[in-house]
Formats: sequence, C-alpha cells, structure tokens
Amino acid sequence: MPEIKVTPLGAGQDVGRSCILVSIGGKNIMLDCGMHMGYNDDRRFPDFSYIIQNARLTDFLDCVIISHFHLDHCGALPYMSEMVGYDGPIYMTHPTKAICPILLEDFRKITVDKKGETNFFTSQMIKDCMKKVIPLNLHQTVQVDDELEIKAYYAGHVLGAAMVHIKVGSESVVYTGDYNMTPDRHLGAAWIDKCRPDILISESTYATTIRDSKRCRERDFLKKVHESIERGGKVLIPVFALGRAQELCILLETFWERMNLKAPIYFSTGLTEKANHYYKLFITWTNQKIRKTFVQRNMFEFKHIKAFDRSYADNPGPMVVFATPGMLHAGQSLQIFKKWAGNEKNMVIMPGYCVQGTIGHKILNGQRKLEMEGRATLDVKLQVEYMSFSAHADAKGIMQLIRMAEPRNMLLVHGEAVKMEFLKGKIEQEFSIDCYMPANGETTTVTTNPSVPVDMSLSLLKREMALGGPLPDPKKPRTMHGTLIMKENSLKLVSSEQALKELGLNEHQLRFTCRVQLQDPHSDADTLHRIYTHLKNVLKGYTIQHLPDSTVMVESIVIKVSSSAEDSNTKVLLLSWSYQDEDLGSYLSSLLKKGLPPGLC
Amino acid sequence: MMMGGMQEEEFDDLLDDWFIESLKTYKDLHVFQLDNPSQVIEWTSEKTVCVAGYSASKNEILELRLPLKLFADENKGLCAERDFKVVHGGFTEGPVRCLRHVPGTRCVVTNDGQNADLQVWDLGGDDSDVIRRTGSIKGRRVSETGSRIAARPSTPPQVLHGARSSDVQLTQLISGQTLYELETTSDEPLSSLQFVSDSVFVASCFNGSVYIADTRTAAAPQLSPPPPPSGESVLWRMDTSVAPQQSGCKVVRLSSSGRAVVSDLRNLGGIACQAQLDIQTRPYKAEDVSVSWAPRLDGYVSVSGFGGAVQIYNTCAWTPELQDVEPLFQHRGHVVLSEQTDGSVPVFITSHVWHPERPRTLLSAASDGSVHVWDWVEPDTRDVS
Repeated sequence: MPEIKVTPLGAGQDVGRSCILVSIGGKNIMLDCGMHMGYNDDRRFPDFSYIIQNARLTDFLDCVIISHFHLDHCGALPYMSEMVGYDGPIYMTHPTKAICPILLEDFRKITVDKKGETNFFTSQMIKDCMKKVIPLNLHQTVQVDDELEIKAYYAGHVLGAAMVHIKVGSESVVYTGDYNMTPDRHLGAAWIDKCRPDILISESTYATTIRDSKRCRERDFLKKVHESIERGGKVLIPVFALGRAQELCILLETFWERMNLKAPIYFSTGLTEKANHYYKLFITWTNQKIRKTFVQRNMFEFKHIKAFDRSYADNPGPMVVFATPGMLHAGQSLQIFKKWAGNEKNMVIMPGYCVQGTIGHKILNGQRKLEMEGRATLDVKLQVEYMSFSAHADAKGIMQLIRMAEPRNMLLVHGEAVKMEFLKGKIEQEFSIDCYMPANGETTTVTTNPSVPVDMSLSLLKREMALGGPLPDPKKPRTMHGTLIMKENSLKLVSSEQALKELGLNEHQLRFTCRVQLQDPHSDADTLHRIYTHLKNVLKGYTIQHLPDSTVMVESIVIKVSSSAEDSNTKVLLLSWSYQDEDLGSYLSSLLKKGLPPGLC
Repeated sequence: MMMGGMQEEEFDDLLDDWFIESLKTYKDLHVFQLDNPSQVIEWTSEKTVCVAGYSASKNEILELRLPLKLFADENKGLCAERDFKVVHGGFTEGPVRCLRHVPGTRCVVTNDGQNADLQVWDLGGDDSDVIRRTGSIKGRRVSETGSRIAARPSTPPQVLHGARSSDVQLTQLISGQTLYELETTSDEPLSSLQFVSDSVFVASCFNGSVYIADTRTAAAPQLSPPPPPSGESVLWRMDTSVAPQQSGCKVVRLSSSGRAVVSDLRNLGGIACQAQLDIQTRPYKAEDVSVSWAPRLDGYVSVSGFGGAVQIYNTCAWTPELQDVEPLFQHRGHVVLSEQTDGSVPVFITSHVWHPERPRTLLSAASDGSVHVWDWVEPDTRDVS
C-alpha cells in the first residue's frame, strides 16, 4: 500500500522551531526550517542529523518550503543550507523572500554582535542561502520536478504567509504554516480549495484556546494609550516596519478622529519608507480595505500621524511615537526609550514578541534596572505594557480549515507536551477522520488509497446509457462493462469490439455444449416438435424457433435430437450455447432433464 | 455587493462607537465566541468555569480557564494572555440544561431538562484533558421537566436534586444512596434549589412559593406563599444571598413580568423592598429569566433573560412600595456585537454569573454562542480614574 510519512523535527509554540519532514510518493520535502528563540545551544536549531549524518542534505531532500518570515519558521535556514549543506530549491512567497533576509540579518546582529556568540551563520551565508530561493505566487502550480508539484494559498497571519499544497501523482499533503481564519485591519483570512488532501498538517499553537476578540485587544491598546496621554505622558510603541504597525496606525487614526484628540502621533521615518516600499510591492497580499485605501492615498498619509524628527523626543507634553526596531535592541526606538524610561508618566507598549538578550525581552520580564553600554544603568520607571496581536487560528479556526479542505487525515504539530486528546476526539467525531499528533522525531505513517483516473470512450458510455433504460441517477454508482486497456501511463475503458480492433486481435467464441437423455417414445422429429411446444409454453417472451434443419433455437441456444443406438425410446438432446447466454443455457439443460410433460402434441 | 459593503461599514462604525464608549464603562472586557451557545456557566475553581451546549443531540462540556490577564494584579501590563484556555472537554449525548460543580471535588453533575435523571462527570486532572462520564443518578420520580441541582462541600460528595417540589432528595454521589427526601403536599415545578447553610436549603417554585427545609430532620418544611398579589400568570425566579458580610440572608424573587421582591429569609411572607424593573422586552422564554445577588457588593443584583442585556440593580435604593427603577448598569455587548441578521430571533442572554471574588466582574453567555467576561465601572466613579 502506498503511504505518506510525516516527521516533525521540531514544531510548536509561538517561539518553537517549526521543521517538518514529509515523504510522499518517493519525494522528501522539508516544511519550514525554524529556530527556537528560547535557546542558545544546539537545541536552537532542528536536529538535522536525524535526516542524514555526515553528508549533505541535498542528497536526501527534493525541496524545502518556507511558510512565512517569522524566525521560528525560517531562522535555521542559512544554518541548514550553508553550514549543514543543502543546494536544492527553497520555495517561499515573494514577500517572504524580501523580508526573510532582513530579519535573519537583524537576528544575526543581535546574536553575534551584541551577545558575542560564535559558530553562527554569517551575513554572506544569509546571502548565499537566499540565492537558492525560488519565489512562489499564490494559486500558481509550481512543478518542482516531473512528479512533484506545489501550490501556495493565502494564510493571513503576516504579510506573505502561505499554506502549501504538495502533490505527487494522486497523493497530496497540505501544510498550513501559521494561519488566521479571521481577517484583521490589514490582512485577509486564510483560504484554501476543497482539495481533499491525504493529510492536512496544521499548526496548533492556539488549538486549545478560545481567542479573545480582536476588538477587545484593540480596546485595551487604545485604553492604555489614552490613559497615558490623559496624564500628560509620552507613549513609545516599538514596532517592526511591517505588520502590526500599519494596523495600529489605522486604529489610532480612527480613535484620534472620533475622540477629537490633539496630542501628536509620530512614526519614525525609516519605518514609513520601508513599509511603503513593501506595501507597494505586495499590495495584493493585504485585505480589500487596505487595497482600496492604498489606491486613494499613500499608506502613511494619515491626518493625525506625522513623520518623526529626533528632536521631537524632547518636546514637552504628551505624544505617541511608533519607532523601529520592535525589540528595542538598537536604533531609534532604543534612543527614544532611553530618553523616556525615567518618567513614570510615560509608557512603552510592546506589541509583539522579543528575542532573548534584547532590551525588549528584559523589560517584558519585569526587569527595572538595565545595564547599558559604558557601565551606565538605566532605571526603568515608565509603564511597560505587553500586548499580543499575533494572528493564529484557534480551535474554531482549525475546525473551519478542516471543513474547507476536507482532508482524509489530520495531523497537528506541537513540540511541547500539550495534551490535546479532547481536540483530537472532537476532530475525529465531527469529520470521521483520524487525527495524529506526533512528537518531535516521531514518524506518523498514513496509508493512502490513491484514486486511479480512467478515460472512457464516448461510444461505450452512450451504449451503456441506452442499456440502462430510464435516466440514470447521477448519485448512484452503476456497473459498466467494457475492456480496460493499460497503455503507457494511462488507463482507458472501451467496448470489447474497440479493444479488439485497437489491439489487432480476433474475436474468439466460447460455446458450452451438453447432452441430456430423455425417455420419449416418439420419432426424433416429433420429439423435437414436442420440445418446441414445451419451451413455447414455458418460456414466454423469448424468441423460440423451429428451424427446417431439425433444430430448435432459443435465442442463441441450439437444440438437436438424436435417438440412442440401443434404445430408440431414449433420446439424446444436444444443447449448445454461447458464453453470453450461459444463464439461459444452464436453465434449459436443467429444465429438459426433468423430461417433457404428458399431453404434449 | 455595494449594499453589503455599506452595511458592513455601518456595522463597523457602530462597533467602534460602542467600544470607544466601553473605555469608560468597563475596566476589563473580553469577548469570546463558542461554537454553540451555553445555558450554564458554573465555577469549578477560582479561575475556571464549565460551559456546555444545549442542542438536541450531541454537545460539548468545556472547562475553560479565564484569561490570566484578568488575575494578574501585579504587573498586569506584562501579562498578554487574554484568551480562554480549554483545559478539559468532553462530549454529551443530549442537551445540558443544568450543571452543578460539587465543591471540593473534580466532579460535575448535569441534567438534560427532559427528565429527572442526573449525569455524573469527572472533569479530569493534570494528566488528561478529557471530561468523562462516570455515572448517573436516577430521579425520585419520572418527570418530563428537568431537575434542579444544588451541591455543597461534603464527604463523601452529595447532591440535592429534584424537578418538582414533590421529588426533592439528597443523594450520595458514589453509592447512589438516598440520604434525605423532602416531604411536601404540593407538586409544583422547581425553579431553583439552593443551600443556605450546611444543611438548610431553599427550594423555590416557578409559581413563586418557597420551601425552606433542613436535611438533618424529617420535620415538615416551612412553606412561604408567592409574593402578593398572587394569581398573576407570571413565573418566578429566585436567589438567596448567603455571603457572610451581608446582613442576614436575603431572598430576591423576580417575576417574568419584571417585578422584583426582596424578603428576609426568616420572614418570606413580608416584603423588605420591591421594584418594577426596566425590562425592555418580555422574556423570550420565561424560564430564561435569571436573578443573582452580587457576592461582593451588598444589595446589588444582576438580572437577565429579558432580551439581550444583563442589568445590574442596587436594591438598597428600593422601597417597600412598588416603584419603577432604572438599572445602575447594563451590559448590552451581546446585542451590539451580534452579527445575526434580521429575521431570526434576536440574541438573548442564556446565563450569567458573578465572579465570586472580584466585586464587579461577571460572565455572561448568549444565544449566539458568545461569552463575555466584563468588569464594569460604577457609574458615579467613572471620571475619578
């Protein structure tokens, strides 16, 4: 039986290291190549030695697919390709391809330059790795080789995030990456065809949660900003150029307008240029509303939000500033933070995850005294707020996606020891499919029943239709008769005559014959006539003929009579019929064995 | 398509307005959407509640952990966790109309509203996330109306249950042994059962009459008639306040026409104070009407079942004469946020509970499957923040 194997090398929570191996139809595919940001040692990267030891991964893998630019999904890519060794194709969407190297370089800087780690990938390795990337468009079927094809679908979550449908022959797998089933202010909801894959591999980060509404998250954000502004404080919002920044700007703009607020809102200039650049490039990846807005005006032409100048940070009175980078590890956001940290009226709102070793990570852990460069310490007196806007599918979202794709099997990837027996039961009950949850390094094997497509000749179809009497019920299966021809890689069903013709074969006849002894004291001719009359009486509706050559024919069945050599009262009947009339033939022979009824003339 | 777009934007604007207003009126606000509506919200610990569906066939029982942010008093800003966590879940064959947690155990008892029998469930521990059925308890008599259930800490665990005033009994959970039976001459359908002390309980009927009995004695229960004037064709719901800091034990009875009557438990025939509440609509189903005393705010009651709002009233301002009163606060979130299109039954509240410790935090569930957790702000303190 054909089978598909799935082995997670590491996958799971928000900060996990997603990396999943799939073997399908003789092809090996790596799905995502993420790093675990909570570790500094070997556990940071997936264990590639599981795949192959002391050799290059190129020999084993047919392709690598990256779902989106978050480091827990692509952070180990340069390590895998340049340090372990992989020269095959790496697929990712255009936005991911554009943003991924920037994030990898940022992360490399923090790890190597700030934390002084060695044995890490270099800038050159990131560049070399990115040269192996082949960009994907949404809904475009890409042929990796003659048998393996992949197709990307919109996943929401972040700009460029994709789910991917992987197909070899009639077997297929869908990998979701991180996805979001509800649209937000700047991205749409995930969507996929009813592609009925053999396995749907889904992230299950929020599988056991019921998410608070987006509106309530936004409400909290506005409440915090408003409180700080009201007491005359300054609010710093460190952001990454892409993603939540746009969303939060749209939100604040609306709020300021409605509340008629006067405090200035700024965004740092680097942010606008970068963001505008990417949003112009990838406008098709955002939602309808943003697209409409973008046609009318520049993404960052807000009424209340103005460009920031570094001198503004010292201005008196309340203000709100969006600044990069998002983890407070360098640049403008860090400069402003240092200026404002000492005043408890001020506030910093961290709208996302921060990597270990950054100021952002430290203050989110409640650290109030920070050691800065040059042995100075910084007292953090301002209010620190952590808000998660991450857009993942929760239990309901997972169920929605299953309903959409209609997989034959479900596989939830999770690294941590989360118990999800209830969810598994729910999926199995509602959809009558199996649900697997393999641990890291554990292989799930699913047997597939590939359907075999067969072409059918029109003439045969028409003939069978005609035989069927009234119009066939399209929902009911029907038996058809024909000849199956397997030629090269295709299968077709044709009529027997056509099959003979195509294959240059002669038709052979198969006939059955049988002798039946009968006591009948009459002449042979009379006996034959008596048989004729008897059959006429018994077999109504059949064509029965008494032919001049002393035979009786019932359809294709021939009956002849001769007398026994020893006893002329013993007649020997010779019956012969073709294979097609086998049923009638055997019936006749058993009928005649019972003898002829008296009173026949 | 144009029309659809317009409507969507108008709906968005409406939501924006409500949420902006909510900045002043709520301290915390969390909005969740369950797959199916729940008629029960029952505390199983300080931080967890049980909910369960009531559709005709299969349903889920879920034990949900409340958002951690709600409980993070120190460094609240550093806690970003604002989701419900499904800590345990299970499947039922029928609807769940009544669900009671047995204090001190990991056990809940349910009733399907179709007969007097009870189902017993083990909520599961740290080793499993599955809620499993462990047994059942036969009702004292065959009944077509569902049972009410009351529980209190006891070893071995026991539950008081019954569908009508004539079939109330106390049953030991594990052995199924009947420990006590309420003897009455009437046969009225019960609206609630509640313990007011370790052994004294109150059984209230939909007609407004109330029995007070003690499970330690076989003595006849004390019966109080419905609040005068009786004979009105209304149904009554009741709640007793047992919080220790409150003066005596007060009983509030609420009719399906919106009349609320507060009495002292020791003198149920008398009226301490009463009011005609500002209910905008008649209840969709009279049985959905619900009233609860606030456990941490003396004299405050919450009311739901009349349409899509949960209302808070302060009974301290009421008088013995019937007067019209306005609610102190209304949670209209379920109606505002409901995306139900016209033509269907408007959203109504199916259940609500107060948080046992946090004075102004409530949970409410509605017919569209929404569950809200809200910490409201006392109107006259709003601008002081």
